[in-house]
Amino acid sequence: MAEDKKPRSLATQAAAKIAKFVRGNMSATLKAKEEGKKVAYAYINDGQDEIMRAMDIVPAWGESFAGVCAAKRDAEKYLQKAEADNFSRSLCTYATCTIGFDMWREELNGQTPPDAPWGGMARPDMIIGSAQQLCDPRFKWPQATQHYLQDVPVFVGNMYYPPWDPKRDHHEQEAIYVKYAKAELLELVRFCEKHTGKKMDWDRLAGLVDLTEKTWNLFIDTYELRKAIPTPMDTGDAMNTMVPITFNLATQDAYDYYKGLYDELIQKNEKKQGVIENEKYRLLWGAGLPSWFALGDFQYFNDKGAVFPAEVTYRNAEKLERLDLPATNDPLERIAWRWVRFWTHWYDKARKRPGSSPKVERIIEYIEDYKCDGVVFHSAFSCRSWHAGIIHQAEVLRKIYGDIPILIMEGDIVDISSYNEVDTHNRIDAFIETVDAYKAKRS
Amino acid sequence: MERYYAGIDIGSTMTKAVIVGESIIASVIGPTGPEHRKLANKVMEKALGEAGLKFEDVTYVVSTGYGRVNVPFADRQITEITCHAKGIHSLLPTVKTIVDIGGQDSKGIKIDSGKVTSFVMNDKCAAGTGRFLEVIADTLGVPLEKLGEISLSAECPAVISNTCTVFAEHEVINKLSTGEKIPNLIAGVHDAVATRVYALVKKLNVEADIAVTGGGAKNVGLIKALEGKFGCPVLVPPEPLITGALGAALVGKERYEHALQSGQTLTRSGQGLQEARLFS
Repeated sequence: MAEDKKPRSLATQAAAKIAKFVRGNMSATLKAKEEGKKVAYAYINDGQDEIMRAMDIVPAWGESFAGVCAAKRDAEKYLQKAEADNFSRSLCTYATCTIGFDMWREELNGQTPPDAPWGGMARPDMIIGSAQQLCDPRFKWPQATQHYLQDVPVFVGNMYYPPWDPKRDHHEQEAIYVKYAKAELLELVRFCEKHTGKKMDWDRLAGLVDLTEKTWNLFIDTYELRKAIPTPMDTGDAMNTMVPITFNLATQDAYDYYKGLYDELIQKNEKKQGVIENEKYRLLWGAGLPSWFALGDFQYFNDKGAVFPAEVTYRNAEKLERLDLPATNDPLERIAWRWVRFWTHWYDKARKRPGSSPKVERIIEYIEDYKCDGVVFHSAFSCRSWHAGIIHQAEVLRKIYGDIPILIMEGDIVDISSYNEVDTHNRIDAFIETVDAYKAKRS
Repeated sequence: MERYYAGIDIGSTMTKAVIVGESIIASVIGPTGPEHRKLANKVMEKALGEAGLKFEDVTYVVSTGYGRVNVPFADRQITEITCHAKGIHSLLPTVKTIVDIGGQDSKGIKIDSGKVTSFVMNDKCAAGTGRFLEVIADTLGVPLEKLGEISLSAECPAVISNTCTVFAEHEVINKLSTGEKIPNLIAGVHDAVATRVYALVKKLNVEADIAVTGGGAKNVGLIKALEGKFGCPVLVPPEPLITGALGAALVGKERYEHALQSGQTLTRSGQGLQEARLFS
């Protein structure tokens, strides 16, 4: 009677290529050290990608490394290492996993700890952080890392965007925030110049900004193909296909990857080839990072006839025309405007719906555009930035949009001790029954 | 000819079976052990005996609860969330929020006309569950079923600050050694459980009427503490342990009748009670 365990499968060939991509990013850091190139610890969605790439700095992504450790269920040794130095388990486990790894490497005089997943990351020459674009722990994470890597210079910049206030027109403030962000980015350029000994090639930087903008457009065009019924790709794959836009922005590889995915999804849609044969329920992944050690749960949803044609998580790009960016030739200003508007472009829409908020408005748009029957959130306890707001988002969604089935799953991004497969699957079963009852009622 | 439908709810500590026709004609509660299938078999046999029926007389069987997949003779498995909603709606139609306090977990369910609109379940911690009360009852040397009654004579409930079951047990022992009276301690424990359950369920935007089910509902002291937290009286069905099994039987009935009306045939497990096998 128990259901057979099936190996996790991916719907697209493009997603299946991602492991090689991630491994390549990690090994690039080790190779860079051999070649005398500079390596920087970097953090996603900081608006710093083009600058690092233009300066030939090789990024080492802690969030990616921790995700790999989690996916291989091999993070516990690093979490325990950090915990032994009084880092609480409730802190961001991306941070504590990589800090544990750093601590261990320092104990080995810079040698990579034995059996590090996929060879580990290289010891950085600098740490380039930025906070507030995505999550606040990244104010302190670089500083905490420097506690162990004391010779490594740290830059923590800030790129704020106007806070949401339904009573205030943010357009009046945007230019001020952009001016501030541009100044921070310029400061980063000076920091990189100082620590690489090279001068910024501004034309090259402008070219990389062009490339990023092209990639953002292509990424959204590609993901919009998932509106098809049946959907050709769901969130189970998207948790892989997010890698190039997240970790390889401002590279031709990222652009080429999405061109390949775009072509593959076009073909699938022409053949009406869905993720599963009998697509019964379409769900939105409304918020939250996944449990990287339990990505098989997407398969569990699929086995129940449910697919995720869209997700908020890692959809960290937008069509440039939608952002309506002011014309400027300054590449730093272009970066600043793009990121500020990425967050604020939901504000006008949210203001038109009393009681709404930009995050909820975004969820509503995806529910409608992708014809979703329900919303799933994942509350990862150590990801404070999302964990704290999920219940509120769910409540606001119900209040202003109407009755829609919502599931809040609980776990963590890296810490497997937070996870109980039986409980999780029981919740999914109950949620699917609820979605089914809603659909029956509507029909 | 009257049709009969059976629901069997294998929870973490108790197995419940209900048989319905036009109304409930049998209900049996037995302990759950590691051998779910065997016990499911026995509990169902007992329920059939009570109803004066043979297994072949039952039209459709639905299993629910954590052990639902271990019932070979069930025709369908449905989660306890859906079944509790269905069961409570049949008994107490005005209920909009269900609080279920089981042996190893607790949950909150919002319902609308018997359909689930949202739900929450506790995390992996035993606090807020029947297990918490079992541990404390054992520590105090008081029968579990007497906890509620004893707590009603409390003069001033003790404050149990630890939500962790293990640490709370230590706290109770420490307070006991300093002379705290047992009724005060038990009332304090009930308050701690109620606080935990309330924190979980309030995520649902609780609406009255509220019903409490599961073993926890049999504890009058806990019910009193919950009423204090919710700020209103709560309803308790006559036998709060069987609502899941009752709901399972009713879901089976609904599905069978719907299939009959629409000319469909429901697939049955094809396995009689005698064919139950352990871990086969």
